[in-house]
Amino acid sequence: MDLFIAIFTGTIIAATPLIFAALGELVVEKSGVLNLGIEGMMLIGAATAVWSVFSGLPVLPAIVLSALAGAVSALLFGVLVLTFMTNQYAAGLALAIFGSGVSAFIGRDFGSDPTTALDEWHIPVLGDLPVIGPLFFQYDPLVYFSFIMFGLISWFLYRTKGGLIVRTVGESPQSAHAIGYPVIAIRYLTVAFGGAMAGIGGAYLSIAYTPLWVEEMTAGRGWIALALVVFATWRPLRVILGAWLFGGMTILQLQGQALGVGVPSEVLSSLPYVATIVVLVIISRNRQMMTLHFPASLGKPFRPAG
Amino acid sequence: MTVLPTTRRQFLRNSAAAGAAIATGGIAVPANAQDVLKIGAVYVSPVSEIGWTKQHSLGVEAIRAEFGDKVETTVIDNIFKPQDAERVFRELAADGNQLIFGTSFSHGTPMQKVAPRFPNVAFEHCSGIKHLKNLGTFEAKYYEGTYVAGVAAGHMSKTAKIGFIGGFPIPDIVGPANALLLGAQSVNPDTTCSVIFLNSWFDPGKEKEAANTLISQGCDVVCSMTDTATGVQVAGEKDAWAIGYASDMSKFAPDHQLTAFMLNWNSVYVGAAKAVAAGDWKSEERWQGFAEGVVAMAPYNSAIPADVQSKLDQTQADIASGKLHPYAGEIKDQDGNVRVAAGSIMPNGEIRGFNWFVDGVIGNLG
Repeated sequence: MDLFIAIFTGTIIAATPLIFAALGELVVEKSGVLNLGIEGMMLIGAATAVWSVFSGLPVLPAIVLSALAGAVSALLFGVLVLTFMTNQYAAGLALAIFGSGVSAFIGRDFGSDPTTALDEWHIPVLGDLPVIGPLFFQYDPLVYFSFIMFGLISWFLYRTKGGLIVRTVGESPQSAHAIGYPVIAIRYLTVAFGGAMAGIGGAYLSIAYTPLWVEEMTAGRGWIALALVVFATWRPLRVILGAWLFGGMTILQLQGQALGVGVPSEVLSSLPYVATIVVLVIISRNRQMMTLHFPASLGKPFRPAG
Repeated sequence: MTVLPTTRRQFLRNSAAAGAAIATGGIAVPANAQDVLKIGAVYVSPVSEIGWTKQHSLGVEAIRAEFGDKVETTVIDNIFKPQDAERVFRELAADGNQLIFGTSFSHGTPMQKVAPRFPNVAFEHCSGIKHLKNLGTFEAKYYEGTYVAGVAAGHMSKTAKIGFIGGFPIPDIVGPANALLLGAQSVNPDTTCSVIFLNSWFDPGKEKEAANTLISQGCDVVCSMTDTATGVQVAGEKDAWAIGYASDMSKFAPDHQLTAFMLNWNSVYVGAAKAVAAGDWKSEERWQGFAEGVVAMAPYNSAIPADVQSKLDQTQADIASGKLHPYAGEIKDQDGNVRVAAGSIMPNGEIRGFNWFVDGVIGNLG
């Protein structure tokens, strides 16, 4: 039972930074913009959080600042692709590299010093229940916040007029423009939101998950978040499931190694990627599902006519 | 990149010096070396407060302290990829550095390419395998440190299960993991060691999950041979014991680090610099441990009983004097086959190519 609890909670925690970053990217892509720079924005968020905490800020403002830093870096990308209509792929890759450099600069003085960690919430009464308590009610606040964000984003995209507008902008910016919606302004908003979410995901890494700063500490999670959005065929619930699948496979392969399963560690280490790709392929076979949820104008610049 | 103003006359003089060097088997000091010794060093990561690169930066600082204004050091950090490294080493050599340090296994091939083109520059490569006339190597006997740490773990573990996290399944990691368990088994023969490889040099998140995994499976001592303090940090959170690597990592979990096996390259750095200054530097293969002070133990945790602490000191002294060898037989592998017979010691070549686990390791090398 203890082992099961360890695997379960490990999965939830490992998936949290992915969920933040991937949900943010989902909203960005739903509005028709492809931002490949998640890794860079996460790193900037992670470094900002550490910088804030070392500057004496409490944890909550530090997270807010990380979100802001992520949003600002995303807006730089926004200016390039939305105002100057540069190629989104190239600008996104540039943002990823830029973020890695900038974060190294921000975090320069905090190399491998321990930071104040975000404490876990031991929710009274519920957290004391046997089994149920450790399974569901003893996480840090950001884990719960990721679920709140999931609920808000799902509700916004599919149950509100605002969400409908965002999706319209992603499907057919010309039509949205013709009706009178400010396509570029809406895309700026979603890009900034995606950056803020990636920033929070990064902050989660550097002050909750592994409370320290080391360069490149995201170790590829931004790219995995990017893949998760496609894997989830642009639907929020599947983003969560995908993040759990990836996180769960990571934990299981480590458990397998430590139990001495007779498979080379290199093979076990590739399991999360293999599993995610296999599921991706199976889902992509359903073309109807793909075309139904794929934002038709994804990655294409929009020039308002006249 | 600065290009040295080399006149034809200087070039001839340097060639002559190089010729003399080959004749005497040493490296000649270029004519301008009486003024200031120029030394370059290339680090694999940025210098942080702890870890691998920090210990190398201390070596360069030791040179500065020793030579004062008689030395000029150039440090280039965060060079991991061989293709970047080659350019950096060539620039350092062309810049007139007389002694150049490379600090990562990945610097090996570039150094082997660059060194022959600068025959009167001395190159020193940490964790290198191949040497040339002007390319020396140095490496630490990590296993001596893990053995002593293992003895401490053997005394302190209640579950008789210890955990080890390594980057990749390579001899420099497999060997120390084995020695850790052999040290623990010298106290309690029933001890097992679960080994996890991250298959990444660098992923603090995964390292945390690995440490959590080991602890959830009952390991109450965790040793992590990576470049971050994550393993120590998790042990602190989960109330387990930790063993630090490269630097003293106790500040990451003040009461939970049993000890750390630390690396101290100062003697290597200062020694090489002195030899180059004196004009008698030779390409050497250095593989050093407690005896030379390259490996040292961090202060023991006060929770370790005094008699155990003195036993640890004794073990360390015995290894340094050669009385005790961590890989002395009889050693069995995971399948129970005797690999090192009783009364014999594993040959150095086999230690440097360690590719099997000893009996009691839970893990798989494929």
